[in-house]
Amino acid sequence: MEAKKIKTKRNILNICMNNVVWILLVVSILIMGVFKSSFYSFGILSNILVQGTVLGMLAVAVSMVILLGDINLSTVGTAGFSALIGVMMMKKGLPIPLAIIVIPSVGGLVGLVNGLIVTKLKANALIETLAMNMVLQGSLLAVTNGNTISQLPDSYKYVSQGKIGIFPVLPIVLFVIFIIFYFIWNKTIFGRSLFAVGGNEHSAYIAGINIKAIKIGAFVISGLLSGLAGYLLSAYMGAVTSSFGKSYEMQCIAAAVVGGVSLTGGKGSILGVLGGTLLLTVIQVGLAILGIPSTMITLAGGLMIFVAVIIDASRSMYQAGK
Amino acid sequence: MDNNILLEIKNVSKSFGTTQALKDISIQIRPGMIHSFLGRNGAGKSTIVNIIAGVYPQTTGEVFFEGKNIKNLNIFNRQELGIRLVPQHENSFVNLTVAENIFVGLLPKTKRGLVDWKAMNEIAKKELVDYGLDMDPTEMVRNLSSIDARKLNIIRAMHGGAKLIILDEPTTALTNRERDELFVFIRKLKEEGTAFIFISHYLGEVKELSEEITVLRDGGMYPVENPKAVTEDYLSSLVAGEEVQLIKRRYKTEYEDKDKLFECKHLTGVGLNDVSLDIYRGEILGIVGFPGSGAREMCRTLFGINKLVKGEILYVGKKLPIKSPKDAIRNGVAYISFDRHREGLTPQFTVNYNIGMSILHSKLKRPFGFINLKKEREVSEKYKEMLKIKCNSIDDPIGSLSGGNQQKVVVSRSLGSDPKLLILDEPTIGIDIKSREEIILAINDMTRSGMSVIYLTNDYEELLRVADRLIFFKDARIVARVDNKDLSIDRITEIRDQVKGEK
Repeated sequence: MEAKKIKTKRNILNICMNNVVWILLVVSILIMGVFKSSFYSFGILSNILVQGTVLGMLAVAVSMVILLGDINLSTVGTAGFSALIGVMMMKKGLPIPLAIIVIPSVGGLVGLVNGLIVTKLKANALIETLAMNMVLQGSLLAVTNGNTISQLPDSYKYVSQGKIGIFPVLPIVLFVIFIIFYFIWNKTIFGRSLFAVGGNEHSAYIAGINIKAIKIGAFVISGLLSGLAGYLLSAYMGAVTSSFGKSYEMQCIAAAVVGGVSLTGGKGSILGVLGGTLLLTVIQVGLAILGIPSTMITLAGGLMIFVAVIIDASRSMYQAGK
Repeated sequence: MDNNILLEIKNVSKSFGTTQALKDISIQIRPGMIHSFLGRNGAGKSTIVNIIAGVYPQTTGEVFFEGKNIKNLNIFNRQELGIRLVPQHENSFVNLTVAENIFVGLLPKTKRGLVDWKAMNEIAKKELVDYGLDMDPTEMVRNLSSIDARKLNIIRAMHGGAKLIILDEPTTALTNRERDELFVFIRKLKEEGTAFIFISHYLGEVKELSEEITVLRDGGMYPVENPKAVTEDYLSSLVAGEEVQLIKRRYKTEYEDKDKLFECKHLTGVGLNDVSLDIYRGEILGIVGFPGSGAREMCRTLFGINKLVKGEILYVGKKLPIKSPKDAIRNGVAYISFDRHREGLTPQFTVNYNIGMSILHSKLKRPFGFINLKKEREVSEKYKEMLKIKCNSIDDPIGSLSGGNQQKVVVSRSLGSDPKLLILDEPTIGIDIKSREEIILAINDMTRSGMSVIYLTNDYEELLRVADRLIFFKDARIVARVDNKDLSIDRITEIRDQVKGEK
């Protein structure tokens, strides 16, 4: 009887620990509402989803590589560079739908280069993608000469700015992407292999998994998603700036990790990444709405991510000690 | 308390999760005594040793060293007290010199705080001479023979002020002659008052060397009264126990040409020089060879881990293109690694996912790259039953299983791909007896339906029970082929040492 009680207690604790990001999300939404009841308006809540879309896609992009036990620091650089190429080609007369296809393709190509260098040349992913990011952001700066490319056509911007009735289109993209990746991660051979390689590369190799192909594939998809995020952000802002997407650089990694994607590889859930994305967005948007001076937002946001990371770390320790 | 007791273990038990690894062990060891732990893989030898050395704590019971309870001391504190564990695998720093290895952690310093190399080499030379070893202190450890490396490990322990040295299977890669040399060395140190715990699963050497013997079986303790007087048969029955029925294979004796499945012709690669070999349907081919002899290299080359530089592998006359484990599995070859944790398990996965790993691209493949999850569960359930894998469900994380059951999962992963040739590289290392016999039984059954097996192990008792033929490796070549007829463990070591070319 007593043992059973302890067991249920432990189960409840387990469930809480595994869903800590969602609990934090609810708590932070409640807190925001206490301070500012207008937080619960449709406008603000849908705004959170809109703001979360780009971050969410970048978080999935970086998760693809974190699951391998590696890291991809070039997601934002890829997003900016891909958007730049697409927009420039469009300005040169490429039809808009083709330009929209070009952007993620360029991203995928960047991912392929990353993947090849990391697997074939056995370069360290951290340094390689850091260098790639600098090259891409540097190119963006060099080409734009520090100026902003704007005046993008309306049909280019539709996905990011359009509405169906009162509902913005953008969150639909977010959910479609998450559903697709739910299937990839949980139901496909590629997804399983991805987790296997991240979990124990040697064991995966002996089990007959082509680890190089899986790694390259993960980097390509990571780049593709980064490119797509680049398109959505450029369409949302209606411009490609020279410091395109900088604020997302570390946030997307934080969203993935807070969502439970383990930095050592092989562990993570797509639902967790969604939770992490929404949590970080709520914090960002919420702090702005609460009227925290914009000079303080980075600090406050950083501290809140700290809290989330510490909770996540204690979860890992709790599970290890069990 | 008797002042003359160096180490006292009092009612020590240890459990890992639900598995009880040690039950109520009590042992006393005096200075200048050689005390042996005898037992099979998984009997609890490593567990008790790790508790003494402080690798992990006991669940209940006490350990006293020189009359002091050492419960709260970690492995480093215990080393300072004089308890030194010399592990089975050589743990020298192979890219440092002999002297550096002896002094590692306590390098002598000059006045300026730099390492005093000259003093170090001089002291090292003196210590080596004192212990009767003819070694150059500036020699790189990687150039030492395995016997010298073992001795160096012991000297390292002595240098650290060891009063009790635990030798975990120190003889596994040694010839009989080198073993005798090691024993002379150990006895000499013993005369000077050092106590030894000696661990081995070879009865003969244990009986020869030790003054006290404790047999461990299934975590239980069976002290041997008057060890010099008992027979090896008595020891062996004590080690085996009665509970577990040992599988004995009915050997295959007939080899017909039509049963010749695999032909390996002139295999040459890393550590493998012109090896040719035929493998027949349904046979278990035993492999004997020291590390580096080519035995393991052949296993890993056949499976596509090591690159085949020259030669070919044929299956019923057709050349097999094996360049990676993936190719090997596709062509009906499976491999179980000696290193379960590194190359066998995916720790984040469940039992089910671990078993399914090798068949994602074959049996479990569905259109558009999806996995047939239902089929995967069926396969896992089938092997859970066949190998008697003990878990609540196939959705349990693999880490929650005992070592033996984890190994069964690894075996299931390989069997799942329906191999025509299964290569086993130390498949029973570090697992309990019951699991071992269940694995052997399953593999033996599979050979009846035509699967061939290559079986590499250092446990010759096990090899004698399962192998139809034995092949001996030395210096990257096959040097002897023997049918398993009228063989004994002694005969195997004899052939092995002969072919090792001892004068």
